Amino acid sequence: MPSIDYDSAANVTERLEQRLVESLTGEANVSRRTVLGGFGVAGSAAVGLGSSRTSASSDHEDEDEHGNFGAVGEYRDLDFDPHEFLTAFNIGDSGQDNVPQQVYEEDGRTVREFEFTAVDTTITIAPGVEFQAWAFNGQVPGPTIRAVEGDLIRVKFTNLGRHAHTIHPHLKNLNPRMDGIPQNGPGVLNTGESFTYEWIAQPAGTHFYHCHSLPLKEHIHRGLYGTIIVDPDPERVSENPRDYVNYPGPITDNFQDQLVEEARSRNHEYAENDAVNEMVMVMNSFDTNFDGGNEVYAVNTRAFGYGVGGTDGNGNWTAGETKRPIQIDKNERQRVYLSNSTEFDLINSFHTHSQFFDYYDHGTTLTPTLKNVDTIMQCQAQRGILEIDYSDHDPGLYMFHAHQSEFAELGWMSFFEVV
Amino acid sequence: MADKTQNSTTDSGVPAENEVTQPLGLPRWVSALLPIVLLVLVLGVFAFTSPLAGVQSGEPLPDVTVTHTTLPSDETVVLHVTNNGPESVTISQILVDEAYWDFQVEGAGGDQTLAPMESAQIVIPYHWNPGWDLEVALVLSDGATFHNTIVAPSQSPGFSLSLLGTLAVIGLFVGVIPVALGMLWFPYIKTMSDRWLHAVLLFAAGVLGFLAFDAGFEAFELAERVPGAFEGNLLVVFGIFGALLLVQAISAWREGRVDAGDSRASSGLWIAYLVAVGIGLHNLAEGLAIGSSFALGRVSLGAFLVIGFMLHNVTEGPAVVAPVARGKRPSLKHFVALGVIAGAPVILGGWIGSLAYSPTIGAFFLAIGVGAILQVNWEIARMVRDAGGRVASATNLLAFLLGLSVMYVTDLFVAL
Repeated sequence: MPSIDYDSAANVTERLEQRLVESLTGEANVSRRTVLGGFGVAGSAAVGLGSSRTSASSDHEDEDEHGNFGAVGEYRDLDFDPHEFLTAFNIGDSGQDNVPQQVYEEDGRTVREFEFTAVDTTITIAPGVEFQAWAFNGQVPGPTIRAVEGDLIRVKFTNLGRHAHTIHPHLKNLNPRMDGIPQNGPGVLNTGESFTYEWIAQPAGTHFYHCHSLPLKEHIHRGLYGTIIVDPDPERVSENPRDYVNYPGPITDNFQDQLVEEARSRNHEYAENDAVNEMVMVMNSFDTNFDGGNEVYAVNTRAFGYGVGGTDGNGNWTAGETKRPIQIDKNERQRVYLSNSTEFDLINSFHTHSQFFDYYDHGTTLTPTLKNVDTIMQCQAQRGILEIDYSDHDPGLYMFHAHQSEFAELGWMSFFEVV
Repeated sequence: MADKTQNSTTDSGVPAENEVTQPLGLPRWVSALLPIVLLVLVLGVFAFTSPLAGVQSGEPLPDVTVTHTTLPSDETVVLHVTNNGPESVTISQILVDEAYWDFQVEGAGGDQTLAPMESAQIVIPYHWNPGWDLEVALVLSDGATFHNTIVAPSQSPGFSLSLLGTLAVIGLFVGVIPVALGMLWFPYIKTMSDRWLHAVLLFAAGVLGFLAFDAGFEAFELAERVPGAFEGNLLVVFGIFGALLLVQAISAWREGRVDAGDSRASSGLWIAYLVAVGIGLHNLAEGLAIGSSFALGRVSLGAFLVIGFMLHNVTEGPAVVAPVARGKRPSLKHFVALGVIAGAPVILGGWIGSLAYSPTIGAFFLAIGVGAILQVNWEIARMVRDAGGRVASATNLLAFLLGLSVMYVTDLFVAL
């Protein structure tokens, strides 16, 4: 390492910080990464290096002697983009290209039909680390299905994997043949076999689906799981408000209106829903060495996928190409559909830094089950809705992560970048 | 004076007259049988009266070993288990990756109970994945568990003529051909001076010495997987000493014949055959290793590995023929016989290893090889000494070292 002049380095840092602040408050067109790239170049120029790398950690010679934390390198496999996945809802008439789907009426009921295939594939779970996965439509987590309360969800499922699979929905399902377990209905579907599952979208909330073949541990942790969101029907809420609250007292008109309003904001068919930024997050993990313990943890599969590209540990950071924070608009309400598919560990958790949120366990109520908390925990298959408001916060980086330090350090550490 | 003489006789040895005197005037055979009869009586009393019944503290612990596993198809896992404990055990349940799973016990007389020293196969219908480790556990009737990890599973080849053919071809290449090629050095060795011939013999001893260590370590390693009831480590010790002492006894008998004037017994050919037998036993073990790797579905016998084996084994050729470099050249049929004895066991070992693999057999053959080799080295040293050479001359010691080194280097190529 070349010797450096700390005073001049400090001056450069200050100047660059000033520029960064200007760029964020001023020109909206300038992409953050451009600024940070320039930041890196200037930083390295200051210490006499010609490098144009955008990683802050390699540019700052006053780097922390303790070394820096995080997975090394960027993701090369661009088939799956965790940032795109956050908002990829399949509602029947629009959704992902890899999920053939349609919407139609049948016997007075809206039917949302999806084609699912189970395949054996390889996914990237940390930079350079591949995992042999079993996946619905080639992706882990599987496609997010979204319907409205009372709709019929019809899933035409074909198993193209080497092993026998099923799809088991965590819905209130009145027909045991449709439960997607080996002991019932069509049982497991062997390679090449197909079956059409039909489930009524109920109750409103955020739900979990997964393969129920045995051995269960293997079939779940290899990647066969995903989210089903059932939007509440405001009309039904208006008629049966009591179904949507965990509250025994009288329901006033005002309270009823409040519940209907919340239902409209949850329902993707209503304009009120557009004002909310909705994100799907599945807390998952991967056992790469068959020891019955996980080596990689993440939300939405990729370790540090919503982390930073690099940091010098002195408060400076850069976004990477593939590892970068989730950018959110401070004036928008944030809603996270969170579920936990973690295998081998008893619980997983979600903790926000400098922030408290409302939590709706299973999303089946329209009033929070936990009000104003900054940490919640979920066992496997548990899920819930988080409503987060950053409107009071200054722009910048706000961390969220599992508050099992082990999970966080093994990849489940993420950031919102509030702009 | 006469008394003193008698005393000194008594001091130096028992007079023959006293030796035959039996107590109470009983015949000789009675005193030979008496201890045995008494032992049977005591055992009988012990068995019928159980005098130590109250002393018993707890029960002996169950001990079951999974000696090896085979994967005949991608839907089946077979565990080969042996009960090592003093009591019978019942395998009540099987866990695969910490989940209770379907299974059948075969070869235990129709039930799931294994008597002491009894072996059986546990057949588990399980759709395993190539390369994905499987952790299986036996759950006994008392809840005790015995775990075994199948690392990176891959399908076992099973029995087929084509497999035997493949192993024969491999054996030919890694065993017979290199040894035969090595023996072609014979005419050159014949022209050597005594000093260099002795160096070659010591080189051969170095080669064999390396093999002894190689096989010895492997035998003890394998012994860890021998079911506890068979005392793997002691079995290896027994194998080594057994082979060493047996071959040495034959050798001593041969010397007796030489002293009695049998010219055939005195030739170097005898030692050459001993060397060939020693190397043959070693190669048998090598074949077992190759065959069992096949049986366990863990073989990538690339060209590199075969080349490694050939380089490794070509040095065994001169070791076989060096002892016959002096005197009349033996007839060609002896050379063929030497080559076959030394090299062909690779094929035999491959077959045994692939068909009837068990760590017990493997460890025992390896141990026999070690014992035979040690005896051969002893024999080579005597041969050099008898020819008027000095075993520990600088040249010879360096030649021995060279033998060790060449084997070490070529051994790096043959990691199975």
